[in-house]
Amino acid sequence: MREPHHPAELLRGQADDDRGLGDLELAAACRRGDVAAFEGLYHVHGARLKRIAFNLLGNVNDAEDAVQEVFLRVYRGIDSFKGQSAFSTWIYRILLNCCYDVRRRIARRQESSGPEPESEPGTEREAAAPVADHPLRLALESCLARLTSKHREVFVLFEVEGFKHSEIAAMLNISETLSKNRLYEAKRHLRHLLGTRKES
Amino acid sequence: MKTADCKDRERALREQDPEWVEALERHAEECAICAQELRLWNTISVAARGMGRNWESPGLWPRIERALTAEREAGRRPRPWSLLGNLTIPSRHWQATAALVAALALSLWGASRVLRHPPRPVSPEVERRLLTEQALHEIEKSEATYVASIQKLSALAVPKIESPKTPLLESYREKLLLLDEAIADCRAQIARNRANPELREELLSIYREKQRTLELLIREE
Repeated sequence: MREPHHPAELLRGQADDDRGLGDLELAAACRRGDVAAFEGLYHVHGARLKRIAFNLLGNVNDAEDAVQEVFLRVYRGIDSFKGQSAFSTWIYRILLNCCYDVRRRIARRQESSGPEPESEPGTEREAAAPVADHPLRLALESCLARLTSKHREVFVLFEVEGFKHSEIAAMLNISETLSKNRLYEAKRHLRHLLGTRKES
Repeated sequence: MKTADCKDRERALREQDPEWVEALERHAEECAICAQELRLWNTISVAARGMGRNWESPGLWPRIERALTAEREAGRRPRPWSLLGNLTIPSRHWQATAALVAALALSLWGASRVLRHPPRPVSPEVERRLLTEQALHEIEKSEATYVASIQKLSALAVPKIESPKTPLLESYREKLLLLDEAIADCRAQIARNRANPELREELLSIYREKQRTLELLIREE
């Protein structure tokens, strides 16, 4: 009898076909509470989870905390995953909720202890940036922080991560039309902010 | 084939219908304003693609692994409250009953104290201040009891809040987050002005709403 696949092995081609067999088998392996399955999940989705969290939270430490929380929530809630959506969609939905909670925690912390000191250049956003960077991209990143969280989420998922509106709609429990509208508003606002920066 | 003019620009960019976008691109060949808008729009998309950055986190997976192992170990140990079995959830209304009993006991205790120790004559100003302090003390105590009851209710709702299975549960979750924010705001204002009755009433009404929402969420399958 053949040994069961290693979870990471199951996920070949996962990113292209999230509803494929790998997705379901990985979910089943995670349901058994197998830590190796979670390692497979980390290898497949970890980098993307970190990127999204970073673009939503703007801070490497907070992003990594959010990713760790995702894994704990997947572990605790795997029995509630019934397969109505792709496993990855479910995971990214959890990530968005985690990011939302982290943002609330930061806001509360700032409320109780006053605004946090401005970070030194090179400690936060820049920490994850390559040495030579495009000025427009840097400007865009700083403008992104000024969008509302709803607009920022859709912008990051569509424009940065390349998800389709149908996938974003499933993650956020919204309609595709609303996803398109949020993207339009996000880009309109960014365009305005970038224009203002250029003028000043 | 669709034709577009400047008025259709927003529609094409908002709906991203390929035919409208194509029509707008054709129109932009002759319209400098639309050409400029379209160029900026596309520039944002191109720049955004470069924002997906990766960085090494050699410590992250080991950290997650430790947390998962600890979670699994904790899951294997019997939890103290599990020994109570069904006693923990006999009725969804027991928390409210407990709060009521506590409030009643508090009132009786207060009344018996007043009867046993009749107040000495004091100046009106001192009396007003004492009454305000006493009333505030009692309100805060009752409030704490009520909050503790809601926290017990929240504990029951945790699994559904953390992994909402349906859009309705998700919306309850969102609502609870908003209510928590409103509670935090209100409490911060009360901290600055303890004796403001409007703020107290507002806080109470938010807590009631939270209790209602939690009850609905717990009932929802």
